[in-house]
Amino acid sequence: MHISTSILTWVAAILTIGIFSFLWKDNPFYKFCEHLFVGVSVGYTIAITWYNSVYPDLFDPLFMAPLSKVSLGNKLLLVIPLVLGLCYFCRFIPRLSWLIRFPMAFVLGWASGVVIPAMLQTNVLKQMQGTFLTPGIFTRWDVLLWAVISFVGVVCSVLYFFFSREHKGALKVASETGIVFLMVGFGASFGYTVMARMSLLIGRLQFMLRDWLGVIR
Amino acid sequence: MKLFNYLLKIDRRIIYIVVGLLVMFPLVKPLGLGVTSGPRARTLFEAIDAVPAGKTILISVDFDPSSMPELYPMLTAVMRHAFAKNLKVLLCGLWVTGAGLADKAATEIPPEYGKKYGEDVVFLGWKAGVDAVILGMGENIKNVYPVDYYGKPLDSLPMMNTVKQLRDIPIVFAISAGTPGYQDWLLYAQSRYGMRVGAGVTAVSAADAYPYLQSGQMTGLLAGMKGGAEYEVLVQKAGYSKAYMPAVAAMDSQSLAHVVILLLVIVGNVAYFATRKRGA
Repeated sequence: MHISTSILTWVAAILTIGIFSFLWKDNPFYKFCEHLFVGVSVGYTIAITWYNSVYPDLFDPLFMAPLSKVSLGNKLLLVIPLVLGLCYFCRFIPRLSWLIRFPMAFVLGWASGVVIPAMLQTNVLKQMQGTFLTPGIFTRWDVLLWAVISFVGVVCSVLYFFFSREHKGALKVASETGIVFLMVGFGASFGYTVMARMSLLIGRLQFMLRDWLGVIR
Repeated sequence: MKLFNYLLKIDRRIIYIVVGLLVMFPLVKPLGLGVTSGPRARTLFEAIDAVPAGKTILISVDFDPSSMPELYPMLTAVMRHAFAKNLKVLLCGLWVTGAGLADKAATEIPPEYGKKYGEDVVFLGWKAGVDAVILGMGENIKNVYPVDYYGKPLDSLPMMNTVKQLRDIPIVFAISAGTPGYQDWLLYAQSRYGMRVGAGVTAVSAADAYPYLQSGQMTGLLAGMKGGAEYEVLVQKAGYSKAYMPAVAAMDSQSLAHVVILLLVIVGNVAYFATRKRGA
């Protein structure tokens, strides 16, 4: 057993115990750790945003760089995102809050143009293509089996969400089969969620036992 | 019946203690249950293994410390694999709070293989605007990242002379804890520039990632800590690394925890139905 002599490791270990203490019951130590986490996260995000994005992409070329390095034309171009960005802060001034519509309109327009075709391509067309029963899948029985299950699952699950007609007869059979597929999906998600939560606990315990207490090598 | 009533009213703190002790035990005394690698991890491993020496792979660190136990082992295992194969590693991130983790990996892993920053590994850092960043990297990486995370101009880093845009990179491995993440790499890098995209995801989001694997849009998938353990085993079996494998070391605890949860689910259901029937 080799207990860590690093102050940072001790701080992390004590804060971990503070967060875990909530499992027993809510207490001031937990609240302190929770608020500290929120504060540190926000501070860290602001610092990284400034040094990685705002300073090198906007502030430095616009205000610090000489004209020999960044031309006047490029500097003027940078004024546009600066003004649009500042408009976001107008939300805090009631008389000028309407100005926020300009950056919002710009972002919505730009994002719609970029995202919609990419979404259609990736999440609709390619996914539909993935459910097709092509001749290639008939070469191996296991591939064929999974392809047919996927095909039936997609068709029945989509039919479950078809509400323009009463679910009777064949549509009822298909939609109820769709429910089975949906339940299997929810079960898989739940199983994976359990695994994820346990992984986080194991990760913290590994830190406590290895890095802090030195019980495991 | 008394037993069932008692089980239904058991204090949750007792369950926490039982789960905690069972998870802790195999960490101190490993059970050696072993980890086998599945086809999804092997596909990713083979895809990276097939990249010719000297080429660059891109790793997108799209997670923060809250997902570190699940995803950080994937990052270190893939980096070790790449360096052992003499590949160069370009790191970037779509999560602002993940920058510190990528920095840690870029600092700690390369020296194990005698690799140098700027020649074999570069960390670009984080930029605002996910889609704009990926699309911009598709045109010219230096336009999006004039300087790296440490403020060094990209022109001064020898590795960046061979990597100008996404088309110069054979594969991107996106390690994602949510959004933004692998889906954005599929949306823009894969669909527009035809890049191969492999993904490492938290177990919570694994079920959402499978359809992309089935449709052939994704090249390999590591799901949760188990996925990380599978990749660590593949890297070690190939003789690429002898380093400590945190995900593999955690698998015994994971298995025991799952057995406990399974038992609790079964006992809870049996007790519920037994008491309900009696009540009716």
